[in-house]
Amino acid sequence: MAYQLYRNTTLGNSLQESLDELIQTQQITPQLALQVLLQFDKAINTALANRVRNRVNFRGSLNTYRFCDNVWTFVLNDVEFREVTELVKVDKVKIVACDGKKVQLLPTLTFDNKIHR
Amino acid sequence: MLTDTGPVAKLYLSIIDDVIDSVRELFLDEGVEDRVLDDLRHLWESKVMQSKAMEGLRKNTNPSNFVLQLPASYTQTDQELTASVVIPGNQNIRSFPVKNNSETLATFSLPAGLAYPVQIPAGVTLQTASGQLYKVNVPVVVTQAPVGQQPATQAMQKVTEWREASAPQPPAIPPNPIPPHEVETSSVPAQSVTQPKTILPSSQEGSLPLQSTEPDFPQEENEPNPQPNLSTTASPCTQLLDFQIRREEALAQMAQSRDIDDILKEVIEEEREKAERAKKLAPVESDSQSEATLGLDLDYSYSQFSDIVQLDGPAGNSDLEEEEEVPLEENDFLGIINAEAMKALQEGNESSDGNSISTSSDGEGADELANIEEEDPLNSGDDVIEQDIPDLFDTDNVIVCQYDKIHRSKNRWKFHLKDGVMCYGGRDYVFSKAVGEAEW
Repeated sequence: MAYQLYRNTTLGNSLQESLDELIQTQQITPQLALQVLLQFDKAINTALANRVRNRVNFRGSLNTYRFCDNVWTFVLNDVEFREVTELVKVDKVKIVACDGKKVQLLPTLTFDNKIHR
Repeated sequence: MLTDTGPVAKLYLSIIDDVIDSVRELFLDEGVEDRVLDDLRHLWESKVMQSKAMEGLRKNTNPSNFVLQLPASYTQTDQELTASVVIPGNQNIRSFPVKNNSETLATFSLPAGLAYPVQIPAGVTLQTASGQLYKVNVPVVVTQAPVGQQPATQAMQKVTEWREASAPQPPAIPPNPIPPHEVETSSVPAQSVTQPKTILPSSQEGSLPLQSTEPDFPQEENEPNPQPNLSTTASPCTQLLDFQIRREEALAQMAQSRDIDDILKEVIEEEREKAERAKKLAPVESDSQSEATLGLDLDYSYSQFSDIVQLDGPAGNSDLEEEEEVPLEENDFLGIINAEAMKALQEGNESSDGNSISTSSDGEGADELANIEEEDPLNSGDDVIEQDIPDLFDTDNVIVCQYDKIHRSKNRWKFHLKDGVMCYGGRDYVFSKAVGEAEW
């Protein structure tokens, strides 16, 4: 099971919207839509791990930080993102980061799985 | 260089391909037709394309890319054009490479995801990639509006004359000698000079000059336009995008050649109609409730239907009601407050006054609550922040990634992140590694 983290991206949201439209018109079942999303999770995790090779630096001021359920959430202000080619500045950015170590089994079901583990 | 939208777009498309291929079997197992899978793919791709994050892809592939060609004398003001540009409907907008040719022309293309409004000074000739030329005689501000909505009315004091070249001109030809050939697709050009007022749905205006070349766009949207659309100097070209076709219906239904004034009038009329309907359908007491839900209290008829009693003095019944038949709204509200306060006291007191008030106000209790609800919209002007919060979240720049290591030393934080998708400044980026520092 891959992280469902990437569902809240442009790509993921547009997929969810499209699936919702098809569900509305009853062309697919919600169960099938869920399967598609799971497949999307796998595909995007794989793609990011294998097909992306670049590095970004950034610097800013930390407004808030939160660490809950092994997920870090930061809100930074006045951030500069620096890549080799260009520099982008933004007033506010939110960073949501899951644990990058080997993905644990069924991270979304940890509560239910405590017996099984 | 994954900050280029091109590579990001390619990555996204490859992910889409992977997902679609891998769910094909799932779809077949479920007995869902392949057509549905194609629909999903098209929907998904179109949504991603439409998002500003994919601007680069459009720039490269869309032949109808909107290109601004400026006379050489304009080169000084190039920087102005890089101001945010709003194209209605979140169309794919190309990036803005500003090339200052040593020759007479400088070429711009509207960047995707540019922040609007864009100021286009006078004397600019805009040319679509298809060769259509538009000469801007008056400085124009292009503002962004969501599809189907009215463009911002800010600073729309200027009139833009759109002139359509009779034939596509090669880019080498300076724009000045181009004979303007007015295409009377609607009354816009004729009225553009006489009516300096502007604000039309940019989509409608934008499709006007393109009618001769883009038969796909219906003329009906343009016919009702009595006034030029000042805010859409750039929109015609952007209208060429698929988005226009998809949103035709929505646009046609939306404001058609309406001023903001007209729209306000319509809204007011709608509210009045609702109020009237409510009056007809319900007795007096429930009228005030239904009116309360309308939110807008446009006329004083409200007071005629409410039994609000001003209880400044001793508990009054019908006397006060009659007296307050024609009070000003302010008194009504004061009456509401007082009535509510009295009601609260009534619950604690069993005095005769309280009882009499309760009997008269029980029936009015609903009214009072409704009145107070109506009161809130008036007071809601004090709370502007609440309305802004959702907007703030909408424009939130988000990075979704995984962390390798998060380190803190006193108030200095260091982030080591990986495999992330970033969205900021309206564009999408990806990274395999990111390192950052911040002070808390």
